[in-house]
Amino acid sequence: MIVTWRISLRIAALLLAAVLLELTFFSYASVFGVAPDVVPVVVVALGLLGGAVLGAVCGFAAGLLLDTLLLQTLGVSSLVLLSIGYLAGRYREGFEISSSLTPPLLTGGLALLGAAGLAAIELMLGVDVPVSLLVLREILLKGVWAFLLAIPVYPLVRRALRPALVAGAGGRRTLAQALTPGRARRFRRAGGRRRLARGLTG
Amino acid sequence: MYRKQVRRRRAVLVLLIVASLVLLSATFSQAGEGPVGSIQRGAATVLSPVEDVASRALKPARDLVNWFRETFNARGENAELKAQVQDLQRRLAQSQSAQGELAQLRPLVRVDRIPPVSEYNPVTARVIARSPTVWYSTVTVDRGSSSGVEVNDPVITGDGLVGRVSATTRSTAQVTLITDHRSAVSARVLPDGPDGVLEPEAGDPSTLLLDFISPDQKIEKGAILVTAGWSNGQISSKFPYGIRIGRVTSATSSPGEAYQRVNVQAFADLRGLDYVQILTGGPPRPGLLK
Repeated sequence: MIVTWRISLRIAALLLAAVLLELTFFSYASVFGVAPDVVPVVVVALGLLGGAVLGAVCGFAAGLLLDTLLLQTLGVSSLVLLSIGYLAGRYREGFEISSSLTPPLLTGGLALLGAAGLAAIELMLGVDVPVSLLVLREILLKGVWAFLLAIPVYPLVRRALRPALVAGAGGRRTLAQALTPGRARRFRRAGGRRRLARGLTG
Repeated sequence: MYRKQVRRRRAVLVLLIVASLVLLSATFSQAGEGPVGSIQRGAATVLSPVEDVASRALKPARDLVNWFRETFNARGENAELKAQVQDLQRRLAQSQSAQGELAQLRPLVRVDRIPPVSEYNPVTARVIARSPTVWYSTVTVDRGSSSGVEVNDPVITGDGLVGRVSATTRSTAQVTLITDHRSAVSARVLPDGPDGVLEPEAGDPSTLLLDFISPDQKIEKGAILVTAGWSNGQISSKFPYGIRIGRVTSATSSPGEAYQRVNVQAFADLRGLDYVQILTGGPPRPGLLK
């Protein structure tokens, strides 16, 4: 992904929208007592599209915003979300996303991992809740919810960031489509194709 | 070049993890106060108008979700409510005769209680956000210290007790619900006791348990709980006397257990909160931090 100022603004808007949606809508829509989390889904999508650094930075920022608005202990959500954003990005840098089911499955798995990480941190911080069936149910259902949410959210995030995408990021866009003619010329002059072939543009 | 990229990636990751841990320990050790807490409250104040607009815009969608939930629940509640109406009619007759006796007896005994709700200044607030995890049962409301809201102010709805204010910014406040693991409310079973402490059940925050009720005390199913509102002159309950909390759904005692297991269903719909009232001001309560 080629991150310009305009793309950075789009990513910031996406994260803000995800956090607001989570706090003002999704937290009310619980099924079996568990509310879906849209923020991890967006963070994983950004990691899968933009790589490990972008995933981690976006996860950290989204977590910070979430904890700030809820007046909760700062850093808890940041730590969890930056981890899953980073892992999503590492996957993208190491493997080809060939199937359309890969992003939802990865999102479900990473959200499950994130929910388990959050549980571990909260228990370490002294939350008076035993490791009960409720906690396990919460973790599992968060994963299922994330899988279901990723089916519409991942394409939406990819669409929002389309101008910045290059081939190999799970999309069908080519380099020529991704860049404006002027930028494409500059990119080629700077040896962009060779860098792109080595997977160094993330 | 590739190694440089890998070094940069690792450096960013380590930096972000360290920043998270520093924030975590700073917030945790200062319990929301100090410079980090001030910055957090300042940022929350700045962002609260955006949160408010989003909350208003998404209200129709929330109402739709609530409608589905309430319709689903209503099917099971119909028979239960019919039984409750019959029970309430019986209790109403008992209550009317008891009220007459109370009016005569009250002047004869000096009951030292925290003054009732009528002596507080209620501030109506709208719920604009809610905690999405099972770990915390908190909501954010659109009234803060500029409206006179202070930490530990009781929060109610028309149905009953909701919780108390646990943090404030200028324009918002965080309300810790009675289903949060940090909540404990001293409660009285009507009409004449006993008193106990109402807490969420460990591991299942949607169920409330009235604790410290000895097995020899008879608790009837359907009995109503109100806040006990005690004060011994040095320390006080966070809640005034007489706020309705909920109804006893079951009371069981097992051999060898020191206390009964009294399950309580809250009157207030804590999952579908839209508007709440914060009881600000009121008479001083000894030993209660404001």
